[in-house]
Amino acid sequence: MPNKLISYIFLSFVLVFMTWACINPIKDFAQIDSTSYMTIEADIVNDPTMCKIRLTSSANKIMSVLSLPVTKADVYIVDQAGTKTTFKEVTGGATGTYLPPSGFAGKVGSTYQLFIKTLDGRQYQSSQEEMNPVPEIENIVTQFEVLDQYSKGDVRRAGYTVYLDFKDSPKEGDYYMWNWKHYEPISICASCGGGGTWNFRQNTCITPAVATDQILNYTCDGKCWDISTNNDLNVFSDVLTNGQRIVGRQVARAPFDNYTPYYFRLEQRGISKSAFTFYQSLIAQVQSSGSLFDVPAETRFSVNVKSVTNPTEKILGIFNVFSVSKKIFYIDRTKGIPPGEKAFIPQVPGEMFFCPGVSPGCQDRVPCFEGPTRTKITPEGWTL
Amino acid sequence: MIKLFTRVFCVLCCLVIFHKSYSQSSTTTTLPYLEGKVIDAQTGEPLRGADISVDFKKSGTSTDSSGYYRIYLPYGEFVVKIGHVGYNPFRAKVYIKGNTTLNAQLNDVTKQLEEVIVSSAATKRDIQTPSLGVTVLSLKGIKKLPTMMGEVDVIRSLQTLPGVSSVGEGANGLNIRGSNVDQNLIFIDNTPIFNPTHMFGLFSVFASDAIRDLELYKGGVPSRFGGRTAAVLDIKMIEPNTDKFKMQGGIGLVSNRVMAEIPIIKEKLSVLIAGRLSVNDFMFKWFAPTELKNIRANFMDVATKVFYRPNNKNTISISNYLSQDFYRVDSLFSIENVVAKRTSFDYGHNNLAIHWNHYFSDKLNMMLSATSTLYKTKTYSPDTVNTIDLQSSIDYKNVHMSFDYQPRDSHKMNFGAMATRYYVKPGSLNDGVVSRVARVVLPDEQSIETAIYADDEWTVSPKFTIQAGLRYSQYWRLGAGIVNEYAPGRMPSANSVIGKKVYGDGEVMASYGGLEPRLTMKYSLAENTTMKFGYNRMQQFFQLLSNNTTPLPTSRWKTADSFIKPQQSDFYSLGFFKTYNENVYEASLETYYRDVRNTLDFVSGANLQLNPNIETQLITGKSKAYGVELMVQKKKGEVSGWVSYTYARAFNRMIGDFPEIQAINGGEWFATNYDKPHTFNMMLNIQPTTHHSFSFTFAYNTGRPFSSPSGSYEIAGKRYPVFASRNNDRIRDYHRLDFSWTISNPSMVKKRWEGSWVFTVYNLYGRQNPYSVFFKSNKQALQAYELSVFAAPFVSLTYNFKFL
Repeated sequence: MPNKLISYIFLSFVLVFMTWACINPIKDFAQIDSTSYMTIEADIVNDPTMCKIRLTSSANKIMSVLSLPVTKADVYIVDQAGTKTTFKEVTGGATGTYLPPSGFAGKVGSTYQLFIKTLDGRQYQSSQEEMNPVPEIENIVTQFEVLDQYSKGDVRRAGYTVYLDFKDSPKEGDYYMWNWKHYEPISICASCGGGGTWNFRQNTCITPAVATDQILNYTCDGKCWDISTNNDLNVFSDVLTNGQRIVGRQVARAPFDNYTPYYFRLEQRGISKSAFTFYQSLIAQVQSSGSLFDVPAETRFSVNVKSVTNPTEKILGIFNVFSVSKKIFYIDRTKGIPPGEKAFIPQVPGEMFFCPGVSPGCQDRVPCFEGPTRTKITPEGWTL
Repeated sequence: MIKLFTRVFCVLCCLVIFHKSYSQSSTTTTLPYLEGKVIDAQTGEPLRGADISVDFKKSGTSTDSSGYYRIYLPYGEFVVKIGHVGYNPFRAKVYIKGNTTLNAQLNDVTKQLEEVIVSSAATKRDIQTPSLGVTVLSLKGIKKLPTMMGEVDVIRSLQTLPGVSSVGEGANGLNIRGSNVDQNLIFIDNTPIFNPTHMFGLFSVFASDAIRDLELYKGGVPSRFGGRTAAVLDIKMIEPNTDKFKMQGGIGLVSNRVMAEIPIIKEKLSVLIAGRLSVNDFMFKWFAPTELKNIRANFMDVATKVFYRPNNKNTISISNYLSQDFYRVDSLFSIENVVAKRTSFDYGHNNLAIHWNHYFSDKLNMMLSATSTLYKTKTYSPDTVNTIDLQSSIDYKNVHMSFDYQPRDSHKMNFGAMATRYYVKPGSLNDGVVSRVARVVLPDEQSIETAIYADDEWTVSPKFTIQAGLRYSQYWRLGAGIVNEYAPGRMPSANSVIGKKVYGDGEVMASYGGLEPRLTMKYSLAENTTMKFGYNRMQQFFQLLSNNTTPLPTSRWKTADSFIKPQQSDFYSLGFFKTYNENVYEASLETYYRDVRNTLDFVSGANLQLNPNIETQLITGKSKAYGVELMVQKKKGEVSGWVSYTYARAFNRMIGDFPEIQAINGGEWFATNYDKPHTFNMMLNIQPTTHHSFSFTFAYNTGRPFSSPSGSYEIAGKRYPVFASRNNDRIRDYHRLDFSWTISNPSMVKKRWEGSWVFTVYNLYGRQNPYSVFFKSNKQALQAYELSVFAAPFVSLTYNFKFL
């Protein structure tokens, strides 16, 4: 436990006191080994909108975002009473994603086991995972804080840090995870650089053969929000604080890039021990790494899902059974600002494109395309 | 590189010796002349053929058969150098106001007393003994090596020797001939050091002024040493002068030092006090951003020794060594699973040794010692409701009786017995502290290690010497304690516990023992050439549990128990040693193979700190290391130094008792974190005058291994690397050049107070040597990064003084 603390301390020592230390990106990193593995990302949640199973083959390149979907598999879960719930593959676009019958949600206290049979006959089975309860978020505190490790002019320097309080249950072995989503209302739905213009048939920018400096921005054709989520994993165990009221746990940070209210949808999850150890290993690999005291970079294979047909097969991912409690709130970014601090409002380069006065058939409004980072559906609890 | 080296050297030469532009004029009788006689300083014989240079240019003049020379020079000031092959050159500044005489006495390099920096088994003295893989370093020599931030550093200096390395800059401890850091025994006046560095690995803990010399046993470990499976670093503190008061010290960028030798009763009783205190706090106040201004980072060492010689047959010494580190950070960091705002951290040693030496006769003497080491660590965060107070300690106590007996000239014997008690408090969190954070107290561990040993160095013939030794060690893990019993055939885990066995206070919970043969042999192939062979078996009952790249100061030490078997190593070495030109040059070639059983590794994501059932986190396996070390030294003369090349490999194979679950790297051999196949080191010391000396050290080694991903996968919309093999790739190669310039007694006037300045540049050409490669994840892809610890030149200036 304190190992990580001391790693941080040393890193700070090296980076601040000894300003000679540095971290440089490797531009031409050459991978010496490349392998793909079956990847299972299965979420069984007490929220019907969040239950989802995704089956892919992992990318054999670290720079690749290509994970081949595993399609047409038989996927189902069985609860402690033997009730089977089949997950069906989403047709179109996102193949390899399997969803339960509409309205299905996991129940706190129930135990679930995952079964998968792929088209080529491989079979996988998870251990039984119980859905642990999660306490409500009792209190949220936001505080304006300046992070001096970032230079002035860096948007990460000033912002509102979000802390929360909750009461851990008297039961030992509770594990928590926090995730957040922020919805930022936008008016520009497309920007075409290099002198390009928006092609409304192909729904993409068309750039001329000879690029220019011109940037054209296009208004959205209706309400639209950009979605951002937490980049870092944030998990916690009650091993040292069982039954206590946990106060001041840092869970998020909002940038001071405007004075408008900042929407947060904060999730507090009650996860299983196996999920906790799985996320801890991910944190060790990519969040706590880069100190003098790194632990060996190791991937935890087959954490709670194993192959029935080939017991030596290494499987990536996690069968993640958790309960969730949510809090939606706005940060008032006009309060708590120390003297001399001003919002770092980003300027959108370029000019707006508008159809000239009389121009039949001309379009100047781009649709808000639904996706993981953009939506036209009004966010839950949106009051603005 | 070579260009840079040459340039730097040229600039420095110009700085040292006053230079005046001068164009050599043709020799004419109208000019005044400089003449003189050049003789051998020892024999008084005239030297023929000595070359005369003026203002760094050859004059073309040399001495005749009677050692006489004459050269015509214009009026003015010149630097004259008289040099002869095999002799130290003579330099002088000459003012030509008329005909001038300049006689010179040159010293034969071969008859010069060597300035010992490193003395390996190849020295004239040692070439006749069978000792193998043994290196003696004098502090005087170490002080000549360029330092990092002006701190004379034992650990860093040792890394210039073949076979000695570390994971990287800023790493804690030493890896010697493929050993893990905890497999090396570090003694200061016969008390062990469990963590040899300050500031998490930046500086050695040893106050250099209090050290007399160091002996490093890389192989050929005598039977009086035991308890670790690799090397022994035996550091001896100075015995204070009983005749004369002496004081010395220094003021540096990082720390200030002072040492005094104080005679109390002339020739009978004297006291040594040496201290070092870091002063780097102010830098945070001055230079750090607001958030970090409250960082505190300090360390200190205090060494004291009382030396008493009541008569010629007895000496008694009491020595104490204290070291302490303190570090505090504000608000930025928190302990995992605890919400905390400010955290302080300190650790340190308190070592005490009492030695009584009694001389029965010329043939027999005895050493009786009682020693103790208390190593404590503390991590605390007192100013929140979530108070943390995490402590651990090792209490080591030892009594040792040893005899040196030389019945005949051909036999030198050393034998004795010792007993050690380890009392370990592995970790207590919030014991007696009011906090919302839980109280966790691991049970104390108590163990006894005893040993008897004997060594005999037998000179069979003038050409053949054998040193044979035998050590028997017996170890007991004692109660009180509770040991989990696990279901047969199942891996130890919380789910496989089937019972508990309770042991009473002092009851034996586990015991181990075994013989440790030691053997070294020397055979002289010729007068200046020897061949040596060595074999050691060693056992280790006390080991460090750390899965970090380099151990943390708080890492947990653990005595052997019913689950953790003692480590056992077999070490074989073979060496050839040769001296040339009457010991001016030495060359050595050593090769070794080391095999270790019961080494430890850890399950993925192991929790080692406050875990009462540590056996559930361990994987046992084997280690092997082998290598060849080649070293050539020039020990005397104006230019001295060494070059060495090492080929060394170190591997682990971790299968565990349940290979299908525990095996690391599929049960195959994998390179250790410190496996660096090729290492090249060079040290060069140039001493043109008694007041100036320049040193350069150059280090090159193959980059150390790291785990490289074999692909990536996505979890919750973010990409993560897939690590399928351990240490399957290497970071970039490492190389670094350091420089130091020492100006001794700049006033050039002999006084009781003598000052000197040391100017050093560490990492002269500012290479960003990587320490590690790691990966960060974002929503699109993964990015590889390199961490460089000392990525720029470090310039420092230290003032040292002596009061004699």
